[in-house]
Amino acid sequence: MTVLILTCEEDVTADMVVVHLNGAGVPVVRVDPADLTGGVALSGEYVHGRFRGHLSAGGRLVSIGGLRSVWVRRPGTPAARAAQPSAWLTEEAAQALYGMLRGSDARWMNHPDAAVRARHKPWQLRLAQRCGLPVPATLITTFPRAAREFAERYPDLVVKPVSGAHPQDPPRAVPTSRVAPDTDFSAVAFGPTLLQRRIAKRADVRLTVVGERMLAALKATAADADPDEVDVRFAAPGPPWQPADVPPRVATGVRAYLREAELAYGAFDFAEDADGTWWFLECNQSGQFGFVEVETGQPIARTIAEWLARPVPEEPSRVNGSNATVR
Amino acid sequence: MQPFALNYARPAVELEAATPYVYDAGLQLNVLRDGRVAACDFAVLREFGTTTSTAGSKTHFDD
Repeated sequence: MTVLILTCEEDVTADMVVVHLNGAGVPVVRVDPADLTGGVALSGEYVHGRFRGHLSAGGRLVSIGGLRSVWVRRPGTPAARAAQPSAWLTEEAAQALYGMLRGSDARWMNHPDAAVRARHKPWQLRLAQRCGLPVPATLITTFPRAAREFAERYPDLVVKPVSGAHPQDPPRAVPTSRVAPDTDFSAVAFGPTLLQRRIAKRADVRLTVVGERMLAALKATAADADPDEVDVRFAAPGPPWQPADVPPRVATGVRAYLREAELAYGAFDFAEDADGTWWFLECNQSGQFGFVEVETGQPIARTIAEWLARPVPEEPSRVNGSNATVR
Repeated sequence: MQPFALNYARPAVELEAATPYVYDAGLQLNVLRDGRVAACDFAVLREFGTTTSTAGSKTHFDD
């Protein structure tokens, strides 16, 4: 049985997992959907009540029925590198590829339906609340007055993108940023705006969860850190990431979150305050993990490989039509 | 008419140097010029930051 990895060629983080799969002798086929219909080909036949499908890439041929798991890492847009790419061809290629794969009994990390839902930050915040994880006071609005009133209640605020996406025309990044108390909120009317009470953090926490295994890392806030630098991705390097224990209440909440979200993998971001409380910020359903492993030595890639290598259960347990439960 | 959050935008940072490895379709891995697997060289990964959370990525918004 084969592990199918959907990702781009330059994804060296996926390589970290492929190395472990190779070491364990588990067959791997790596496919970038962007290469349909050039270097990647597919075929599926629905005849006499049965389905037989195949994928080929890089000279490898794999039966869709012979997949044990599918890892959706950093796949390109289907058919993006076709000889004559078009939005129509992309939709055709996406429907053919993901539609066939949905018909397999393979386990997903993560199922595309669960992944799409899990990307919605407002949904994440509500789910985290329901799972008992502390969530900073947050407002998402297009009403300037609502923003002003929220700022009166919570004078120390940050702003961040609702989607986590960054504008590309021209390419810009929108880091989580502090909002000055006397800020003019009139531009809130021109786009949904996410305002959140700033957590005075003593550390950033990245909790990577693979199946039932939790690997937490903590990056202490430097004593001389600029208080306006709230986004660790843009801040000065500071202290390194260090392995950390997960508080039992957080572990319980995170398990409930992943079960409800039907995710097999999640990279959670928390801010740890002076009392040691972990405040939920977000859960990236395909978050990066390589930088944590490189700094801490935590065996994240090996854990992912072990999850992917598990055999397909004889009677897969299906949740909401998928096969993506955490187990 | 610019949305509020874009008042806090900054130019996206591009990788300054080309990565020192290329994809080998036979191995299904990126390899360094000397043939070693790039993913096994943590010093290279650290130096080029290619496994890092990448706000502003052109293709993906999951960090």
